Amino acid sequence: MRRIIAGREAGTVLGLIVLCAGLWIATPYFATAANLTNVAEQSAIVGVIAIGMTFVILTGGIDLSVGSLVALVGVVIGSALQRGVPVIVAIALGLLAGIVAGALNGLMITRGPLPPFIATLGMMSVARGAALMLSDGRPISDFPEGLRALATSDVFGLPAPVVLMLVLYLLAYLVLTRTVFGRYMYAIGGNEEATALAGVNVRLWKSVVYAISGLSAGVCAVLLVARLNSAQPIAGIGYELDAIAAVVIGGTSLLGGSGSVIGTLIGALIMSVLRNGLNLLGVSSYLQQVAIGVVIIAAVLIDMALRRRVQRSSL
Amino acid sequence: MPAAASSEPAPALRMRGIRKSFPGVLALAGVDLDVRRGEVHVLLGENGAGKSTLMKILSGALARDAGTIEIDGRAAALASPRAARDTGIAIIHQELALVPEMTVAENIFLGRAPTRFGLLDQPRMVREASTFLSRLGANIDPNQRVAELSIAQRQLVEIARALSLNARILIMDEPTSALTDRESQRLFATISGLTAQGTAIVYISHRLDEIFAIGDRITVLRDGRNVATQEVRSADRRDLIRLMANRDVDELVTQIPRLHGAARLRVEGLTHGHTLHDVSFSVRSGEIVGFAGLLGAGRTEIARAIFGLEPFDQGTIFVDEKPVVIRSASDAIAAGIGFVTEDRKREGLVLSRSVRDNIALPILRRLARLGIVRRAEEQATAESSVRELNIRTPSVGQLAQNLSGGNQQKIVLAKWLATGARILFLDEPTRGIDVGSKAEIYMLINELAAAGVAIVLMSSDLPEVLALSDRVLVMREGRIAGEFTRADASAERVMACAVGM
Amino acid sequence: MRAQLITRRILCVTVAVLVGACNRGADATARPTVALVVKTLNNQFFIDMEAGAKAAADSLGMELIVQAPEREIDVERQMQIVENLIQRDVKVLMLVPNGSKEIVPAVVKANVAKIPVVVVDSRVDDATLKAAGGTVATFIGSDNEDGGRMAGAYLIERLAGSAKVAVLEGVPGHETADARLRGFRKALTGSTGMQIVASQPANMERDQAFNVTQNILQAHPDITALFACNDVMALGALEAIAAAGKGGAISIVGFDAQDDARKAITEKRMAATIAQNPREMGRLAVITAFRLIKGETVPTEQPVAISLVR
Repeated sequence: MRRIIAGREAGTVLGLIVLCAGLWIATPYFATAANLTNVAEQSAIVGVIAIGMTFVILTGGIDLSVGSLVALVGVVIGSALQRGVPVIVAIALGLLAGIVAGALNGLMITRGPLPPFIATLGMMSVARGAALMLSDGRPISDFPEGLRALATSDVFGLPAPVVLMLVLYLLAYLVLTRTVFGRYMYAIGGNEEATALAGVNVRLWKSVVYAISGLSAGVCAVLLVARLNSAQPIAGIGYELDAIAAVVIGGTSLLGGSGSVIGTLIGALIMSVLRNGLNLLGVSSYLQQVAIGVVIIAAVLIDMALRRRVQRSSL
Repeated sequence: MPAAASSEPAPALRMRGIRKSFPGVLALAGVDLDVRRGEVHVLLGENGAGKSTLMKILSGALARDAGTIEIDGRAAALASPRAARDTGIAIIHQELALVPEMTVAENIFLGRAPTRFGLLDQPRMVREASTFLSRLGANIDPNQRVAELSIAQRQLVEIARALSLNARILIMDEPTSALTDRESQRLFATISGLTAQGTAIVYISHRLDEIFAIGDRITVLRDGRNVATQEVRSADRRDLIRLMANRDVDELVTQIPRLHGAARLRVEGLTHGHTLHDVSFSVRSGEIVGFAGLLGAGRTEIARAIFGLEPFDQGTIFVDEKPVVIRSASDAIAAGIGFVTEDRKREGLVLSRSVRDNIALPILRRLARLGIVRRAEEQATAESSVRELNIRTPSVGQLAQNLSGGNQQKIVLAKWLATGARILFLDEPTRGIDVGSKAEIYMLINELAAAGVAIVLMSSDLPEVLALSDRVLVMREGRIAGEFTRADASAERVMACAVGM
Repeated sequence: MRAQLITRRILCVTVAVLVGACNRGADATARPTVALVVKTLNNQFFIDMEAGAKAAADSLGMELIVQAPEREIDVERQMQIVENLIQRDVKVLMLVPNGSKEIVPAVVKANVAKIPVVVVDSRVDDATLKAAGGTVATFIGSDNEDGGRMAGAYLIERLAGSAKVAVLEGVPGHETADARLRGFRKALTGSTGMQIVASQPANMERDQAFNVTQNILQAHPDITALFACNDVMALGALEAIAAAGKGGAISIVGFDAQDDARKAITEKRMAATIAQNPREMGRLAVITAFRLIKGETVPTEQPVAISLVR
């Protein structure tokens, strides 16, 4: 088991290394401390949502609402700040909104007959609409310096968003590998019925997973608002797909039950490195989209090839 | 090709020196197999002996590394399932390969549906499907969706599909594993009809009884090699077991003397809709109570209701003579009840996780402090279970899906024993399991009972129920129709009771 | 093993593509590199701007990188592109901001890297920029508010000062579209017969404009004029109006004078559009960049002429 996961991650890590080596050869601008910091910072945005997405996908679900939740949480924070609420309280309110929306997803999925795709597709539209209503469709900007600092300050020589992302990944890694909750997530994704039969409250834990996904969208919103110094009701469109791509590139199976959060981190880094490299090389915007698509498809092909290998050796 | 010099015609199938290796495993080390026209040729061997691999090669699902295959004396490449089908080979899979969302008729004619003017000829399809089904004596509506069928019914559909191909060589991989006796008998009659027309049948089964009932010749495989081929008439039961396992299995079931204690589980007046009517019974500690009955008679429903998986209208459950309220699996586990389900792969195991994770799943909270799993303890629990139940796995970290059916079933048992279950429901515990592992599981059931566990055994394998149970309860149409002590219970009497005679 | 081979093969191809693409740039290292970041490249307006900029860069012997996010509304992605190009060490950054306030942190980063910023077409919010301590070298663009006013004045003249008007707004918070809207509204306030009965955003996109227009027609079947903040939306509206069987009954005025819009005007399906000159903007931006590299001072405002096409 451990070997297989390590093997999978090794493939993804190898991909990242080859990509970096290629860029290092291709352009002198890539392998500079400043640029690498820059890449890490850029990966934080999607990287953070991808944590929650990994949890959801591990349990065999999907969360299409996270992009809209980023906008909703951002707008909640923005309007709170406009009303003079202290930064910390505003952030707490925003994160709470993310958790509540995520838990609603979870309830729709576990208490009702709705498949995750439909429930979160609905939430995607509801949250977007709510964000537009709350903001009258306009961006909210000009926030106190305290919020900006989240994006601009350094911790141990690294940008704060990068440190935050790494801490969250470490936490998620520990949850998945060391806790009862982590085991339940893998078990639910692997075989929901068998897990329920083992006395696990599957409904509860699945709801918790969607709430966590909402929370991670919320954390992403905080970073985004701090970075742009503005809360936009139209922010985050398409982020759900970027997050799913990072999870899939990282080797987590869309069928659930297998994968790792470390893989997702590397997946998010691969996407950022690729975009950064293509920008540095001045590759046309059109070709960039082709390249990213090719990488996603290639990652899934590799995943399937590995899976086949595992199955064969077990015959 | 000219006829062979001898008077004997070319066999329907001749396989010579078939080799196949997978990374790290030599699955077939040069296997020969001859099957004559009109013959039922039984393929025997423990799981992992190479039977399935050989049949996958014959049905075109796998490519062989070396060896020749002749069909009716002509060399055949069998490069794909389609090529095999066109050559006249059909296979009935053990793992059901039906599309749940399609109707029975659509499944039977999947990929070659009859058409008229380029459109599906639905009425003809339904008509022909019911012909094949009625030949099997199966009372199944061709318009029903497969998802709504029971496992036994699905198996019948699978068989009907193979029949509809009019194959000259028909491979049956454990076709009766989910069938009742009566259904099995109908199948055997159908098989006789087919062989009379010259169809060659390769028959894989672990049930020695039926092998002796319908087989003509037997080929035994072990570790990817031929061990013996002989006429069924001259074969001896013990010999076969020894040949397969290369060890003496004196008797599959060894009796261990045991004492029955107080009633551990008592159920009174369990009633639910049309499925269960006033079901009352009790199981004492150390006792094995068998439930027999036709499929759909309500056996599984009893277990599901008591385990909190299905609600029931009326009835009381007593554990150690105290009434308990069970609304969920976790309530049942807390009351000391374990449930080894009928469908191991769907409900019993998380196949993609390790042996350790599976065993620890129901007791993770106990193995954790503040939500963090104490991994040393988890490892120790799993390792001691593996030792106690003799689960053959390279390590507790091995994925459950990589183990044989028998060892998987032992993991399921280990999981429930780890919860400290004192009452165990076993629903079809040896379905699809090879003889060697079966013997071990029987032994285990006996040992558990001897250790004071109250065991409820539900099985459609009547000899199994009779051999293991202290008492046999017979279900018919959701009611307990009869009760037999071990001494009174015979196959004839139990069956007569089950069908209401 | 086999999977790793596949990985390797795929990555080799990817790297080869990248290296191939970079060789194009490498042989030009002697020439100064400048970058133009536009809102998106799926809008004719920015494709024209790119063409104008490329022509100018070729004649001046400069290397030009043109990049854009996939979606016009994706400020975060545009910011990432700017950050990456700063690492690329471009000499001048020409920028059409996707968000007038949101892009300010990126401008500040360019300032820190001592890369002059030339803002094109859409303005950066002045107050936010000042508050963040950032500067831009110049603004090149049309007076969008004046363009909106022109559109309004033309509709008043064409419909003799009396009409029910629908408006398709752009992305809320986008300075360009906001300015056009402001100008248009100001033009109409002087004329009591002109009444705006519906004004809704369609995010500068054709399909959204189609849907929004359909909805407006349900609520207000009696409108006789429609102003869209860009031609892409005007063309979407045109289709919706034609589909409703009202083709010709409603005077449509767009903005940008795209080829398709010009064609629709000659075919009398559209009333007018406001011609900006994106090619000229691109050309002027590159020339300005050239002058900045040479150390010349440039004016802080460089208007590009606009005109009514009817």
